[in-house]
Amino acid sequence: MTRSKTRKRIFLGVALLVAVLYPLYAGPYPQAIIRTVFVYMALALSWDILLRSGQLSFGLAGFFGLGSYASVLLSINVPVGSLVSILFAGIFTGLVAFLLGKVILRLRGMYFAIATLALGEIFRVIIRNWKGFAGGPEGKILPSVIFDGAPWPSYLLTLGLVLVVIGVSELIQHSRYHFGLTAIRNNEVVAMSRGIDVPNTLNHVFSISAALMGMAGAVFANLYGFVTPENTFSADYTLLPLAMALLGGIYGTWGPVVGALVLGVVAEYLKLFIPYGHLIVYGIIIILVILFMPRGFVGLFGDLLANRRRGKDAAKSKEAAA
Amino acid sequence: MKGLRTTGLTKDFGGLRAVNNVDFTLEPGQITGIIGPNGAGKTTFIHLISGVYLPTFGTVELDGRDITTLQAHKRSQMGLGRTFQIIHPLENLNLLENVMIGYLFAKGLNKKEAHLKAETLCDDLGLDRLDRPVDELTVLEIKKMEIAQALATEPSILFLDEVMAGLTGEESFALIDFVKKIGSDRRLGIGVVEHVMGVIKELTSSVLVLDAGMVIASGPFEEVAKERRVIDAYLGGGA
Amino acid sequence: MKKGMLVAGGVIALVLLVLLFVWKPTVIIYGVQRAGLYAAIAIPMGLVLGIVHIVNLAHGEFMMVSSYLTYFLATSLGIDPLLALIPATIVLFILGILIFKLTISHTLKAPELNQLILTFGIAIVLVQAVNLIATSQPRKLSLEYVTASAKLGDLHFGTYDFIFVALAIVILLGLQWFLKKTKSGRAAVAVGQNPRGAQLVGINVNRTYMLVFGIATALVGVVGGFFLTKQSIFPAVGGSFTMKSFALVAMAGIGNLPTILFAALGLGIAEAFISSFQGYAGWSHIVFFALIIGVILVRSYVGSRR
Repeated sequence: MTRSKTRKRIFLGVALLVAVLYPLYAGPYPQAIIRTVFVYMALALSWDILLRSGQLSFGLAGFFGLGSYASVLLSINVPVGSLVSILFAGIFTGLVAFLLGKVILRLRGMYFAIATLALGEIFRVIIRNWKGFAGGPEGKILPSVIFDGAPWPSYLLTLGLVLVVIGVSELIQHSRYHFGLTAIRNNEVVAMSRGIDVPNTLNHVFSISAALMGMAGAVFANLYGFVTPENTFSADYTLLPLAMALLGGIYGTWGPVVGALVLGVVAEYLKLFIPYGHLIVYGIIIILVILFMPRGFVGLFGDLLANRRRGKDAAKSKEAAA
Repeated sequence: MKGLRTTGLTKDFGGLRAVNNVDFTLEPGQITGIIGPNGAGKTTFIHLISGVYLPTFGTVELDGRDITTLQAHKRSQMGLGRTFQIIHPLENLNLLENVMIGYLFAKGLNKKEAHLKAETLCDDLGLDRLDRPVDELTVLEIKKMEIAQALATEPSILFLDEVMAGLTGEESFALIDFVKKIGSDRRLGIGVVEHVMGVIKELTSSVLVLDAGMVIASGPFEEVAKERRVIDAYLGGGA
Repeated sequence: MKKGMLVAGGVIALVLLVLLFVWKPTVIIYGVQRAGLYAAIAIPMGLVLGIVHIVNLAHGEFMMVSSYLTYFLATSLGIDPLLALIPATIVLFILGILIFKLTISHTLKAPELNQLILTFGIAIVLVQAVNLIATSQPRKLSLEYVTASAKLGDLHFGTYDFIFVALAIVILLGLQWFLKKTKSGRAAVAVGQNPRGAQLVGINVNRTYMLVFGIATALVGVVGGFFLTKQSIFPAVGGSFTMKSFALVAMAGIGNLPTILFAALGLGIAEAFISSFQGYAGWSHIVFFALIIGVILVRSYVGSRR
């Protein structure tokens, strides 16, 4: 194994250890913050996974909410464990996305983006009007919160969610999928002319992205023990992950991770100073990032590294010429 | 039959008939030119063959199989390759990765194999420093990469759409030799769309002449070049 | 053949409308009134989409800002909102131009994604800014003239809302006049069809974009003022109008302003129809969402690459 690879693995191992043992040295308030940050991180990363194909989705809240409700409604009506219901929520949401994808993935650009927004709203309205099974506007309450609210298992659940999403994202980045998605994003006609099955690739990545969002929703619902149309389908679940992924840097695993950590922590401080309307900061961040650093922190960092390397190469060739 | 055949291929865009009843055959080992004035429908014809467009009438067959409505990526997997007149390099992938696409998806190779084969192919074409981003490439290198992308799908039938445009005489000749060699090595049937007549003379054994979507002549270049209809089409003579 | 189909479709639609009017007259009346509001808001979005070729996801929010401005002007100066909306509209014109110049103009060459996300961010900022300044408490004015009503047989219905229909028609006609009869308007049309070509003949494309965006924002500001007279306003009120406007513009086709009226009619009447059934009022919101998806899909099938 090369030295840099070993270094990377050690770093990741230590990070993982730190993460797992976090509740030992952090109080209940920071833990609650990080749990929420992890859920948003999962959403941000899932959104980015689809974005890599070039398709912009505004439907995060929709799939998040769908997963939440799927998990809660299953738990209430069938005696399965919470973890099973979370898994079910992921599969269910993925399946719904797969079927819907057959229809809406013919769209591109603004049409697709708005269609996903519309989908989310349709889910919400259907659930809000479905008084019997789905509880209508009052929503549904779980008999108990997962793990009865014990902090460490709850934390590990969110950590587990994040690790799963990171795992999926990295698998995609290091497989042929990365080539396929990037090619489709850059030029679909070229992609299809070189053998890439564009419709199916898009549908797969759309379903995977939705399934992960659904799982995030299910985790969240189990942590808090209830779902309502207004809370569970809140636009926050679309807005914040977008801002996080943009800030950190899109089209990669670590951008949304960094963005979620930074923004999540900053958000908590903001809430202390501006209790109402602190969301304005997210809007401002989105605007500033798009205008001034569209590739986010990771992109900036990458540019810095590339410049340093170019400087080193130039210095080397100067030496060689001398 | 082995090779490509189009029969009565026609494409309408609303009221405009861009390709009109074109019959064409291309056999393995053959290099045929496709020429005609601007707007004659040459690129649209290639799009119909490769699957970017579906025809309004007519059929396309590859090795005896009807591929008229087959999806483009499937045609690529079957061995139909083409380059694009206006080249759009995949800008978020580097030079090597651009070439790997065909090996990965049209041939279904794994990353390692695709990497190796792409390296070899680039080497054959004279491309080096393969980890460069595509916005750093020269015109010649981009053309070579485009051809490599098409060859990476390991086609049996290949269409080159105006690859020589913008190259110096010396560069074209090197490329022509490459195309001749690879055509005979791999028994490719090659369709060459060109405006540079020198290339057509060097490479092709016969040409198809299109004007306003229709075939107005076909046969060896020297004979076709003397035909009245062909001269008129290029000079804009007639009504 | 296309014309024949259009005529046939129109006749069928007319027959259905008449039947509907006989069965549930209020559906037609309220549907038309609603349609007026939707059209009035959607037409400016169609203008921007057709000429600047961007979707402004903050469109509804501009209307909301205008409504709030009008509210505060009206209440603090003690004047009628229909008067207060004049200065509000001027402010909105300036706001539109400023926002365009400072932010959107920089993303025109970037991928479409960037513009969508940018206007999304602008929408958030506008909503939250108003939330911070005015809180989320809904505001409403009680005006006498909005309770105007009429009688048809033994049917009572509100007539004030027809003003939105008038507004939509005035906006449409005004824009048509502007685009066809004025120099800037014709320049705008040229820019919309071929920005490079327009530039080559000496038209200042960037200034045209700015002007068009400002006009669209001002128009939606006018609608906001009228909106305030009848409806209660709150920071998030604009969002659904952005979506509905996009649905209508997508239905009508980019660059086709008059058809927006008909699309709006369809939407308004469909919503009113569903609301007329007891207990299904909540579902009326779905109508346009389903409509967006349906229409966009039909277009994508029809206009597909093959």
